[in-house]
Amino acid sequence: MSDFKIAHRERDTVNVIELKGYLDAHTAPRLEEAFQNLVNGRRFNIVVNCRDLSYISSAGLGVFMAFIEDVRKNKGDIKLSNMSAKVYNVFDLLGFPLLYEIVPDEAEAVKRFTGKTK
Amino acid sequence: MKLRRIIFASTAFLLLFVKFALDVISKNIELQWTGFFLLRELLTAGVFVSIVFALHTPGGRREPNPARKLGLLLIFTLAALIATLLLGTLPADGFDQKGQQLLPLDYLTLFVSSLLSLVMGVYGLLSLRILRDLILHTRKRWTARLFWLLVILLVGTAVSTLLRPLAEPVLLALTPILFALTIVAGVANSFRLPWIVYLTRRDKLFTLAYGFFLFLCLLGLNIYFANSQLLQRSLLYYSMPLREFIRLMLVITNVYCGMAFISTLFHLPTADAFERKRSEVTSLSNLSKLITQVFDFNDLVDTVTTMTMRVCEAKSAWLEEIHWVEDVSPVLSDESPGRDMETGSPAYHVHIASLKNITPQEIAEIVPEGAASLRNAVIRERKAVIADDLAKDVRFASGGDAKRASGSMVVVPLVSHVGLSGILYVIKETSYGFVKDDVELITAFADQAAVAIENSRLIQRSIERERLLKEMMLAQEMQKKLLPQEVPVFPSLEIDAVSTPAFEVGGDYYDFMHLSPTRMGIVVGDVSGKGVSAAFYMSEVKGIFQALGRMYDSPREFMVKANDALTGSIDRHSFVSLIYGIVDVTSGYLSISRAGHCPLLHVSGKEVRYVRPNGMGLGLTAGKLFEESIEEHTLRLQPGDVCLFYTDGVTEARQDGEEFGYERLLALVQRVKDKSAAAIKNDIIATIQEFTGDQPSHDDLTVVVLKWLGNPVLRTKEFSNAEAHP
Repeated sequence: MSDFKIAHRERDTVNVIELKGYLDAHTAPRLEEAFQNLVNGRRFNIVVNCRDLSYISSAGLGVFMAFIEDVRKNKGDIKLSNMSAKVYNVFDLLGFPLLYEIVPDEAEAVKRFTGKTK
Repeated sequence: MKLRRIIFASTAFLLLFVKFALDVISKNIELQWTGFFLLRELLTAGVFVSIVFALHTPGGRREPNPARKLGLLLIFTLAALIATLLLGTLPADGFDQKGQQLLPLDYLTLFVSSLLSLVMGVYGLLSLRILRDLILHTRKRWTARLFWLLVILLVGTAVSTLLRPLAEPVLLALTPILFALTIVAGVANSFRLPWIVYLTRRDKLFTLAYGFFLFLCLLGLNIYFANSQLLQRSLLYYSMPLREFIRLMLVITNVYCGMAFISTLFHLPTADAFERKRSEVTSLSNLSKLITQVFDFNDLVDTVTTMTMRVCEAKSAWLEEIHWVEDVSPVLSDESPGRDMETGSPAYHVHIASLKNITPQEIAEIVPEGAASLRNAVIRERKAVIADDLAKDVRFASGGDAKRASGSMVVVPLVSHVGLSGILYVIKETSYGFVKDDVELITAFADQAAVAIENSRLIQRSIERERLLKEMMLAQEMQKKLLPQEVPVFPSLEIDAVSTPAFEVGGDYYDFMHLSPTRMGIVVGDVSGKGVSAAFYMSEVKGIFQALGRMYDSPREFMVKANDALTGSIDRHSFVSLIYGIVDVTSGYLSISRAGHCPLLHVSGKEVRYVRPNGMGLGLTAGKLFEESIEEHTLRLQPGDVCLFYTDGVTEARQDGEEFGYERLLALVQRVKDKSAAAIKNDIIATIQEFTGDQPSHDDLTVVVLKWLGNPVLRTKEFSNAEAHP
């Protein structure tokens, strides 16, 4: 099986999802499930830490698209952080930086949430 | 069938009448010729043989329940008893004995004699038939032989009485000897009571009652006959063999019924246990049949719960299906502090597959928070957990004053060769309701059910796989048809293109379109997703391209309109990346727009670069944001220039995790730029195949190569222009 891992933790009321490995059509449903669980639990402040994400395919990108509307409707957001240059290039090619906040550092992403809520 | 019975019955009646007439005549006129005695016996024999045939049911539409048979025998016996008692009370004068000869004193005696013989004879035949069915209940060779020996002895004894008028002492002794032998055979047959064992408890009770009353009735009949001279003589007068037969039958039936009564009495204490074992065996054999019946999963689990409940007489039962989540992240396991059962993926999913006599609410009440720990315990131990008293069991403490369930419960895991697939819960209303046997039985059931469930899942999976395979082939077929069958040909422009689908169909698409005699549109795109949905969106993109391409001169405008068209129809986690170029085949102007797609690779002389106008993928967002993001670049191609349109299958081709990448592609195209468009395309494909080695490509690979040769008519002019504006 593909080596893809998802971890979830909370940091200052923000839900941080860590991705590791290859996010493609096979592994995308797992990320989808993780997002779904967060949305079901009405947790809409989400940071996706992509430090260990080595590859993302169009199916992987699709997962973000699937949830962003719901999350923003509930005054939350999905922010992305710690992307490698290669992964960033994939996001960038598709124009994702226009749709998502992509910041270099997780702490920065978290601060944008907590700063906003304070 | 019916006709046959009627013929035999009427024959019997006719013979009976003849016999009666003869008897009436012989009372008045002394008929002393020798044949008379034989004629009477022959007539009697004829009557009863006819009756036997009239009663005989060939093929046997037999009552399968021995207890009912015994009941039937009781009815016959009572009828015979009542008839005998009634006939016995008639004021008949009896017989006058004259040596060996008996003479009826009046017509009433004659009537009594005839009727009694008929009633008792028929009764004897019927009871013999019932005894046969009972004794031959289990078809064993020796039992059958013993029974037929009894029948032969019976007939033999009866016939032997015909020799009495000869008055030979040796022959006279024959009858008592045969009589004794018949009784012995009858007693021996009385031990053939195998049918009692298989009776249900209820039927055993009936048998006990029937046996008891039968024994008493027959004893009464026997004693009555032994003490009533009138009856004895009536039979004797009518026919000696018949009298012998009746006497024997009465004794043998009496013995058999007595034995049946005693035997049933001894079997009664074990009746419950036997019945239980029998239902266990039946259920298990039904369940093993069920293993083959795996096409409807819901039916299967339903039967499992129902049968479990039935065999152990439980109040309710339910079955939880456990789905394991594949490769669970270690960060989500117990040791990890970051574990979160709610948002992270749990190690397994629980789903109540079937429930009987219980609602999900009640289940939640009985096993509230304890369920997880109880379930985990069962999963860990893979052994049955028994709660003898739910009300006092700490594992089911719901905390606070919630209503506590009462009764007892057994929880067993369904474990097959591939692991645990579910949990079976069984509840009885009483505490300490489950005995050791119950638990073993439920476990046996669970084992069988686990195999059946596993098989069912495997079949579902292979059906699913088959379906996917078909879907994939369909998608491949579709994709092939959507791609252009040939490339356009121009004197000024060489074009070549290829798209190799991955094993699973991706969403690569390329197309050409003549927009005007001098202008041609080139599109290369990638639809997110795979399989049929990707092929479906591809065909939509093709439609949009064909429709809008001709309407808009500018690639940018085309992209904006295409996005408007797509955004409404595409589902929200899908999108399309596209690069669209319009080339003027007379001037060499190439204008391109990019919507989230890989940049164009342009080689001009020594210069190699990626041309990357900004632009978001199609279907991501509608309206202004998209429109503002889209740019259009125009290049002026020089003779010998190469433009490469491609999909991410090229740059993301992988070898042990390393991607082919933009740098390698750049270097490669620069190296081969002087070759023909076809050769460049082939080199790219070959190089990528070499790079990935044996690894199957995980994405489609599409390459469209444009090589500008320069307009043959304008070439010289073009050249001078180029010099004029360096």
